[in-house]
Amino acid sequence: MSKSSQPQSHEAILLDVRSLTKRFPMVLANDQIDIIINEGEIHCLLGENGAGKSTLAESIFGYYQPDEGEIRFAGDIVEITSPSEALKLGIGMVHQHFVLVPTFSVIENVAMGLDSPGMLLNLDAVEKRLTELCQDYDVEIDLKARISDLSVGEQQWVEILKALYGGVKLLILDEPTAVLTPQESEKLFGVLKKMTSDGLAIIFITHKLKEVMEISDKVTVLRKGRLIDTVETKNVTKAVLAKMMVGREVVFHVEKEQIQKGEPILEVRDLWANNDRGQIALGGISFALYENEILGLAGVAGNGQKELIETIIGVRKATRGEILIGGEVITHDSPRETMEKGLGHIPDDRIREGLVTEFSVAQNLILGQQRERQFRKGYFLDKEQINRHAQSCVDSYEIMTPTLESRAKFLSGGNLQKLILAREFGMEPRVLLANQPTRGLDVGVIEYVWEQLLEKRRNGDAILLASEDLDEILNLADRVMVICQGRIMDVFDIQDVKIEEIGLLMAGIEDASC
Amino acid sequence: MLIPFLNIRIIRRQNETKLSQILPVLIALFAALLFSAFLVWLAGSDVKVAFTALWEGAFGNIRQITETLNKAAPLILTGLAAAIAFRAKIWNIGAEGQLLSGAIAAYWAITTFPNLPPVLMFIVILLSSFLAGALIGLLSGYLKTKFNVDVIISTVMFNYIITFLLSMLVDTVYRDPESYYKWSPKIPDVAQFPLLLEKYRLHAGIIVAIVAAFVIYLLIEKSPRGYEIQAIGHNPTASDFKGINNAKTILFVMFISGGVAGLAGGGELAGLIHRLRVDFSPGYGFTGIIVAMLAGLNPIWIPFTALLFGALLTGSLKMQIVAGIPVALVYAIQAIVLLFVITAEFFTLYEIRRD
Amino acid sequence: MVTDIFQAAMLVSLFSAMLRIATPVIFAALGELVAERSGVMNLGVEGIMLTGAFVGFVVADKSDSYLVAVVLAIVAGGIMGLLMSFMSVSLKLNQTVVGLGLNLLASGLTFYLYRISYEIEGTMEIPRIETLQNIEVPLLSKIPFLGPIIFNQNIMTYLAILMVPLIWFVLYRTKLGLLIRGLGEYPRAVDVKGISVDRYRYIAVMFGGMMAGLGGAFLTIGYSGIFVQEISAGRGWLAIVIVIAGNWRPGRILFASLLFAMLDAFQLQIQAVGVQIPYQILLAMPYIFAILVLMGSRARSVPPGSLGEPYSRE
Repeated sequence: MSKSSQPQSHEAILLDVRSLTKRFPMVLANDQIDIIINEGEIHCLLGENGAGKSTLAESIFGYYQPDEGEIRFAGDIVEITSPSEALKLGIGMVHQHFVLVPTFSVIENVAMGLDSPGMLLNLDAVEKRLTELCQDYDVEIDLKARISDLSVGEQQWVEILKALYGGVKLLILDEPTAVLTPQESEKLFGVLKKMTSDGLAIIFITHKLKEVMEISDKVTVLRKGRLIDTVETKNVTKAVLAKMMVGREVVFHVEKEQIQKGEPILEVRDLWANNDRGQIALGGISFALYENEILGLAGVAGNGQKELIETIIGVRKATRGEILIGGEVITHDSPRETMEKGLGHIPDDRIREGLVTEFSVAQNLILGQQRERQFRKGYFLDKEQINRHAQSCVDSYEIMTPTLESRAKFLSGGNLQKLILAREFGMEPRVLLANQPTRGLDVGVIEYVWEQLLEKRRNGDAILLASEDLDEILNLADRVMVICQGRIMDVFDIQDVKIEEIGLLMAGIEDASC
Repeated sequence: MLIPFLNIRIIRRQNETKLSQILPVLIALFAALLFSAFLVWLAGSDVKVAFTALWEGAFGNIRQITETLNKAAPLILTGLAAAIAFRAKIWNIGAEGQLLSGAIAAYWAITTFPNLPPVLMFIVILLSSFLAGALIGLLSGYLKTKFNVDVIISTVMFNYIITFLLSMLVDTVYRDPESYYKWSPKIPDVAQFPLLLEKYRLHAGIIVAIVAAFVIYLLIEKSPRGYEIQAIGHNPTASDFKGINNAKTILFVMFISGGVAGLAGGGELAGLIHRLRVDFSPGYGFTGIIVAMLAGLNPIWIPFTALLFGALLTGSLKMQIVAGIPVALVYAIQAIVLLFVITAEFFTLYEIRRD
Repeated sequence: MVTDIFQAAMLVSLFSAMLRIATPVIFAALGELVAERSGVMNLGVEGIMLTGAFVGFVVADKSDSYLVAVVLAIVAGGIMGLLMSFMSVSLKLNQTVVGLGLNLLASGLTFYLYRISYEIEGTMEIPRIETLQNIEVPLLSKIPFLGPIIFNQNIMTYLAILMVPLIWFVLYRTKLGLLIRGLGEYPRAVDVKGISVDRYRYIAVMFGGMMAGLGGAFLTIGYSGIFVQEISAGRGWLAIVIVIAGNWRPGRILFASLLFAMLDAFQLQIQAVGVQIPYQILLAMPYIFAILVLMGSRARSVPPGSLGEPYSRE
């Protein structure tokens, strides 16, 4: 049954999860999930972003405590109250966002907090064992190197080594290939297969169909917190899985008419910029954005989308290249200046970058515009005018808030997004930079946001839409750019994409990029 | 029960009421009361006698009330200085040094232009003391924006440096040759602030302070600049994205904050003490911080909390005479108030749940 | 006259004074180092030193035992460290304001308690205790030049110097040290291993408090023999600056402490020789120097990654 051959019985059930339910304040993340993992098995957890895969894994790992349900490990019912409990049982996890101390070496990261006799640090012993592990699994890595000097792929090996060092029976990997090159992914698969031939079981969380087909024995598909099905990989095809995963009855179908695009309004030429750690985030980006157009920027987050938008706004310095709006050079303009020249921004992290949660709704609606004449009476703010403005925003965009004076922190995510839209649209920008504008919102609001964006497009504005949600891009964009590691890989017109190939395209685009 | 090592989850309460804003203040005051009673008992004195003396010393008769008001004036100003900076989350601990700078500058102005008509002299005193404090504050702001030197540390350092400067000046250049004590000669009558009441020492400084409170209130709560100050205090990232220049705002805040503290120094010089001396300020700069925190960093409430602490300072003098309690008690009390205010505020803002 | 200063005997007494003056700051800075390495910025060091000075003085006076005095001063420092940890780590309050509050508390309480413990009227003699005697290390103290400087100090100074390699050892060669350093850089990595972030921060901050208390005790017991209001005179703040300037490393912290102490020692020497500079300028030198040092440190100085930020799981 399993793809690898192994001496012991591979029918032995290692992990048995029943009816696991986990609730968060705003969302039901896992709804009565059942899942069984056998020894020596590679089991994929498949689903889109937000399907509940990570939450399930964290509940097994003890970082979260499930609200309902039962977990059996190696036959016994267990209550995994913390990660250290999980580790003691033999459950290890490699997270999507690494939990490594950047200034420590590999050895130090593994050694930190280890239960060993005595007070003294014995890095040599740790190094020895790590070297053995590396040899066993044919992994090459400089154990003495600092984490911050290692590539992202290498850092992941460190996370895996950490888990292996502790002697795991069940290893959970959360989207491990999100940051790997194809070669590195192949290498990873080889190592995973060797691990299972030694009896280890692996839960492999992913949204990439190609990987599922290549590596797994079984697949469990989640969608919006619910279990869809668990199947044996050899019994299904990519298309079947795609349908199970995406499964939307294609409820969203916004009316998007063909519009002739206008003049180029935003031009980016050979733009280079660094990220917060001083590494290259943008490596020569060039494109043009036209009036009456929505240009989609597709790709998994972390490939430079954020840095691109920040550089255009002026919050980040461009190290090389040019940015122009309406023909005027704005490369080194401050955020205030780009705002005045017609640039709008819908941030992906709305609480951190777009709002002051301690301010009232009315105050947030003029954030950035507080010095404008329309909101002033002499030297002071014109409270009546500000309230009038706020009221009209609240009415037009149906923002649910107890009063205009209520602090923004009491609003729901959807209403906060509407607030930001009201504000940004109200400034009538020529160019709107929208970064994951519907992330974390529910269906009704998503539809609303899409309508608004299309309305702007109709009116002659230009929108750069960065999104991880391929659905969103396919529905809204006229053209799509694929960004990968700070470079534009491909640009194509949306008509050239057939709608029934959505699921395959998701896998396909990840293929074409990093 | 709160057991420290357990991982606790802290959740903001979903509703804020007027009560939840007043409660920290009341708790803090009550705790301070208990604690000071304890300290009085520790000294072997009668609590009732001591507290009665405290009250009478502060409000017992007109003279005492005017003394209290006189003490409240510089406290209002240093409180405002702290409030405006803390609203922007800029921790200006240097009001003490900025106050002294203001006094020194005012003294310099008075002695350099001794023949000005009274009205002009008044203005010159206010202006010079404000500017001196403002420049010292600005210097700290500049060290932060240009060299990333923590405002806390630079303002604390400046406190010490300026204290030494004052000591040196009254020892050398500004030394009163006719006196045994280490202080400057008295400033001429024309430079002294007008008295508001005959027979008592109540001077115009309190008017200056109240006007300043009103102006700062308008600045913070009603002006676009004040909006920006609050914005960078709450969320510097979003402010950056929306075009608010963090560096310029920091410089502005430190300028105004230092300037207001400087005004306190000018007021004390011209209104009460009338000369420079080493013990010029009984820690008004630091007490101002507590005045501000107790007032919730709101300029409207600062005159009231300043009055409270002015009363404590004045009353403690009588308490010392009558009950033998050292004046130092006041400093212990003010620290307790501060610690309880921040702790109590926590409990009204958050709930604690075991994780 | 200036050349007088540089004669050998003068130099010996200068360097010897430097070590003595550096002692309290070394203690406080090493303690603050450990606290900050765990991610907590304890701005109350000044107040804790003052508390240690007061407790040390009063206990030494009333009990005639240096040992008991020092121990109680350390305990007092530990209690204040506990208070700091509780408010910063458990309640996650703003570390700046808490530190400030501790300073003011110490300032007010020590002054008040001193006044009620010793009723001093007018020009009465202020209470005084015998300071610790120097202990001459046999043989080693006879080494020309270095001998009298290093090996003829009191026991607390010896302790302070020994603490430097000791702290280095604990931080870099023990499991506890690795954990604390990891905590200060990236607490989530520790949390995910199932280890209590709070517990170790408590330990680190309380240790810092104990050291600051110890340093404060030296001011009265080992140095001046009297207690005056604000005897700590900003040394706690200097300790904080020294940690930054020393880039959070024990060796450099020792060096920076000695540098600052040298300024102080130099100023004393100049006064003794009678050079005509107002003494206030000399007294202000360390504070001016501190600012200059911080201005220059900007490029090099890399604080622990999570310094000053309360940790929570979300």
